[in-house]
Amino acid sequence: MILQSLSAASGPARTPARLSALACCWLVMCFPAPAAAQARSLAAAQETLDVGDQPGRISTEEAVIRDGPFARQVVFFRSNEAPGTLVIHTSERFVYLVQGNNRALRYGIGVGREGFQWSGLVQVSRKAEWPDWRPPPEMLTRQPYLPRFMAGGPGNPMGARALYLGSTVFRIHGTNQPETIGHAISSGCFRLANGDIIDLYARVPLGTKVVVRHGASL
Amino acid sequence: MWNVAKAFVPPATAGVAAALLLASALPSAAGTLEMVRQRGNVQCGVSEGLYGFSERNGQGEWSGFDVDFCRAVAAAVLNDPTKVTFVPLSAGERFEALRAGRIDLLSRNSTWTLEREAGLGLAFAGVTYHDGQGFMVMRDLNVTSALELDRAKICVEAGTTSQLNVADFFSANSMTFEERAFPTAAAALEAFRSGQCNVLTRDQSALYAERLKLPQPADAVVLPDVISKEPLGPVARADDFGWLNVVKWVNFALVNAEELGITSGNASEAASSRKPDVRRFAGAEGGLGKLLGLEDDWALRAVRARGNYAEIYERNVGVESRLGIPRGLNQLWTMGGILYAPPLR
Repeated sequence: MILQSLSAASGPARTPARLSALACCWLVMCFPAPAAAQARSLAAAQETLDVGDQPGRISTEEAVIRDGPFARQVVFFRSNEAPGTLVIHTSERFVYLVQGNNRALRYGIGVGREGFQWSGLVQVSRKAEWPDWRPPPEMLTRQPYLPRFMAGGPGNPMGARALYLGSTVFRIHGTNQPETIGHAISSGCFRLANGDIIDLYARVPLGTKVVVRHGASL
Repeated sequence: MWNVAKAFVPPATAGVAAALLLASALPSAAGTLEMVRQRGNVQCGVSEGLYGFSERNGQGEWSGFDVDFCRAVAAAVLNDPTKVTFVPLSAGERFEALRAGRIDLLSRNSTWTLEREAGLGLAFAGVTYHDGQGFMVMRDLNVTSALELDRAKICVEAGTTSQLNVADFFSANSMTFEERAFPTAAAALEAFRSGQCNVLTRDQSALYAERLKLPQPADAVVLPDVISKEPLGPVARADDFGWLNVVKWVNFALVNAEELGITSGNASEAASSRKPDVRRFAGAEGGLGKLLGLEDDWALRAVRARGNYAEIYERNVGVESRLGIPRGLNQLWTMGGILYAPPLR
């Protein structure tokens, strides 16, 4: 099912073999890997939240970040990007939906761990409600207790909605762990609380331009 | 808060005071940097207490956005961020204290205006925080823009520039409002809390602080609109250009550090970076420190003290503080704000 959808999104030129690799890859990439987490430096550990996936843990559509800086809010935001563009600042842990007139709707996100942050320009290539989850073999080796397949739903770590970013392995998706918003825990995906990804999903059509930025490095 | 101070000084009085000050004896024209070196500390004028900007805890330790700037200057000049004597000053006495040489530097949420530079013989070293007047509303009003506030009941502190600005803003946008003016900021907040009005207007940084005093802070939102310019920055004496330059370039260094990705955490690795601008910043190339009369790693010392601009902002007033003020204008020019520092070269 995922393969078919990806095929539709990324055009006829892609081969099934390539797609299969991609599908496995993104599932590995999007979730925390405990083995890698243990190797992290102390400094990195202080900035990040060390938490594994909790499939089966329930988070409903009503779960939103209610207060604090990571709550959904309209903020001042100067941009040359057209209204409707999504701008993701990974170092800040925010995604901005540009609204014109120097403002944007801002949502708190969970982002990739150090070393798994990326930047670039992509488009929303596919949208899915309550996406299914198929942990790939690499992930099952590390975490044998994980299910082989998990249908989309409130206990699914992918959360309530997913926005697929171009033909990359990355997604903007929901989560059944809303307390991870504002932290660096994933392997490059961007997660929002379920209520917030539902709100964003409704505002973002297919083909939306997505700009991913993070701070400079030495 | 700075609005209050401005409003309480009638222009005529301010002019006379300025004239008197100009006539009085000034500290020796040059050599603040030398004096700071000999004394072994920086005397920094700060607010007597303003949440997020300058506060003193039970042990007498200072913290805050303005306080961290003083520490960055001390680190750049003396290689020790603890070598600062903080001098708490009221709004009324701050500029005179600087002119009279009681402090080397004023870092006290002061708005940069023509009058304060041309009239008082002082010079602003730049802008560290772009503040401006904003609006706070209850969330259930379902308003996302100040342009939706037609016919609102607005609470404001009487006799402030905020009161004048809000009238200008509504008039310019062909909207009407009912003004509820109160003698103090606390009374205006209480009126907002009790529902006598549905909008509270003040400088945005102050609105975020006031919001925390509500029984349910999450029920109120600060709108993103900014209707006035309140550029806050550090001030030095205009007759000591060398020292003014030091203060000015410490500010630029903190902003450039964020742009270059130099943080308090990785500062020790900057000198071995392969990027020329990072190496110049670290003093590994360029010899720029000597031009300011400082060591070549002055900028790196400033960042190592309390972090780059983003670190200082987020810790004191941003996502890591209870205030949670969005970066807004105070974001890098490359990231949706207007912070733009000239290059270190």
